[in-house]
Amino acid sequence: MMSFILRRLIQTLIVIGALSFFCFYLMSLMPGDPVDMMISSNPNMTSEDVSRLRELYGLDQPVYKRYLNWVSTLAQGDLGYSRTYRVPVTEILGPRLWNTFILSGLSLIFSLLVAIPLGVFAALNQGKKLDYFINFFAFAGISLPSFWLAIVLILIFAVQIPLFPASGTMSVGTDMTSFEGFFDRIKYLILPTLSLSFMSIGSFVRFTRSSMLEAMRNDYIRTARAKGLSRSRVLIVHGFRNALLPLITVVALSFSSLFSGAVITETVFAYQGVGQLVLASIQSNDFNVAMVSFMISVSMVLTMNLVADLLYGVADPRITYV
Amino acid sequence: MSDFKPKKLWQIVWEQFKEHRLALISVCIIVFLLMLSLAAPLISKVSGLHPDQQNVFHRFVPMGTRLPFSSIAKERSLDRFLKEYDLEAFINYFETQRFFPETPREDLIYELFETHQQDELLTILSAMPDYPHKLELLKLAKSQTTFHLLGTDELGRDVFIRLIYGTRVSLSVGILVAFAAAFIGLVIGSLAGFYGGILDAALMRFTDSLLSLPLLVVLIVVSAIDLAKLVEHTPLSFFLGNENESMIKMILILCLFSWMQVARLVRGSILSLKEQEFILAAKTLGARDHLIILQHIVPNVIAPLLVAVTLGVGNSILFEAALSFLGLGIQPPTPSWGNMLNNAQEMLQHAPMLAILPGLFILVTVMSFNYIGDGLQDAIDPKAIKR
Repeated sequence: MMSFILRRLIQTLIVIGALSFFCFYLMSLMPGDPVDMMISSNPNMTSEDVSRLRELYGLDQPVYKRYLNWVSTLAQGDLGYSRTYRVPVTEILGPRLWNTFILSGLSLIFSLLVAIPLGVFAALNQGKKLDYFINFFAFAGISLPSFWLAIVLILIFAVQIPLFPASGTMSVGTDMTSFEGFFDRIKYLILPTLSLSFMSIGSFVRFTRSSMLEAMRNDYIRTARAKGLSRSRVLIVHGFRNALLPLITVVALSFSSLFSGAVITETVFAYQGVGQLVLASIQSNDFNVAMVSFMISVSMVLTMNLVADLLYGVADPRITYV
Repeated sequence: MSDFKPKKLWQIVWEQFKEHRLALISVCIIVFLLMLSLAAPLISKVSGLHPDQQNVFHRFVPMGTRLPFSSIAKERSLDRFLKEYDLEAFINYFETQRFFPETPREDLIYELFETHQQDELLTILSAMPDYPHKLELLKLAKSQTTFHLLGTDELGRDVFIRLIYGTRVSLSVGILVAFAAAFIGLVIGSLAGFYGGILDAALMRFTDSLLSLPLLVVLIVVSAIDLAKLVEHTPLSFFLGNENESMIKMILILCLFSWMQVARLVRGSILSLKEQEFILAAKTLGARDHLIILQHIVPNVIAPLLVAVTLGVGNSILFEAALSFLGLGIQPPTPSWGNMLNNAQEMLQHAPMLAILPGLFILVTVMSFNYIGDGLQDAIDPKAIKR
């Protein structure tokens, strides 16, 4: 067990390391480094100024040296300075992380709450109208472009029937500690959560259904029935519990798509989260923020995968780690 | 002896596939969309609509509006007309009647069309003496309107023709990416599955790592780079720098990150195939590796591969749409379903249809591909086949 965790941990770290270099390299290929932008904003700059500035920022060095510099400052706890916001990166990141965590957590819980009953119902009514209907719904879920769903939700629930705010994280000047502040927050969260959940609901429903069907086909279900157990007991204790096991893997794998979805949802709803930060910082050439937010989002997803791997072993006693 | 003839595999698959009604409908939808995208230039020619043609005077025109040509379109259609017909008599008439005394002789007919509304133009023309080609000229004046079935967008471009051209772009990106990704996945998966050992371990760790990444975030970073900087002095730069650059870039990038599922699938089926007797027999007979892979393994993984490709098309369309929506994918003026939604959010109050239509196209297309994949899956799964 220990050696398994260790191995997976090292593997994850290697992936993160390799990715950080890859990303660093890619960012160096992006159009417009800081000096380019200074040139465009100040036409009086001479070529000596340019080369001096490049030296100052270390842009004349090869990519790998710049990368090593960046890693060493990072190791000292210095995440750098945001060019757009003109504050240290750490200051921006904290609340953003929290916001994304709330949004994706809520959406995960919501989608599981909706999807598992739907999936079980579909499996129990296999081949009937209800099954077809749920299946259709699930297919729509996995085929929906999430940004479009977000736009349509805004159109319906913010423009046509103004129930919820069209975008934002919270009303300006609300006291977050008060009761009203809490409700204000919820109001801003409902539409993003809905739009983020829809895709995962689709895949969870499909998976729950097939895994439930698989579980109900087992011999022990027949045995349990033959023993004269009540239908509900067979369903819940014998069928559902076993069907839940494979669901853990799917939920774990869904973290990466959940985060991808968060980027889009946060952008459409102008929700102040990490996903929106990744996109905005890349578009505005805010190098330090882009690097750090990218690394954090990747590490978050990879860590979740690792945790899920371990959880799977806890949930299924048949699995031993070698 | 019985006269039982074994059915061919594709026959069985087809019969099974037909049972899946939604998959069958989906095939029809996709065929229709493919035909639509192939016929796009024809539709553009017949209707006189052009996907990039802007007209700031007719922004946000509602559905089903008939509009007069813009001056550029009028000029273009007259150019074409004058090449075909000789209107010398008319021009002489204009000159003697001193229609536009300031205008040079060769521009007279253009000036007439430019300065008059269609109904005025028609009365003027029909009041004229019967010079040769009068009928054709009247017909031209009558035809100088465009019909905007789905209205126009924020730049006055026709939404209908843009949707059709968008179909062309989105479908070709989706299909090309799915096939290219299947090819990459096939190569990597069969290398890993066939040779095993360190190669397998390395390739599969790599695949797994890529699979566990938040794909969209990686795609955003990759598509933000300036591809021209990367391939500056390589033969690849030949492909860039033209109008299709953003499309080629999109296809390349999506290929790089969508082969992993296929690779895992191929590796899995090869591992199980490797244990089968016919592979052993081929090996014993001295068949070389590439022959075994091509002759014995590839045909056996084709079926699951087909399912993966179909599902891959849908996914690629979704990713392309998302990236184009964020402004990182297909660049305007080339229309794609994703970038048509680009500005839709700000226009929600004005023109909700602009936001709804492209998304519906994406939804229907991706859903169709997913249903076809589902149908194929059922059809090729030997356990599900009813004979």
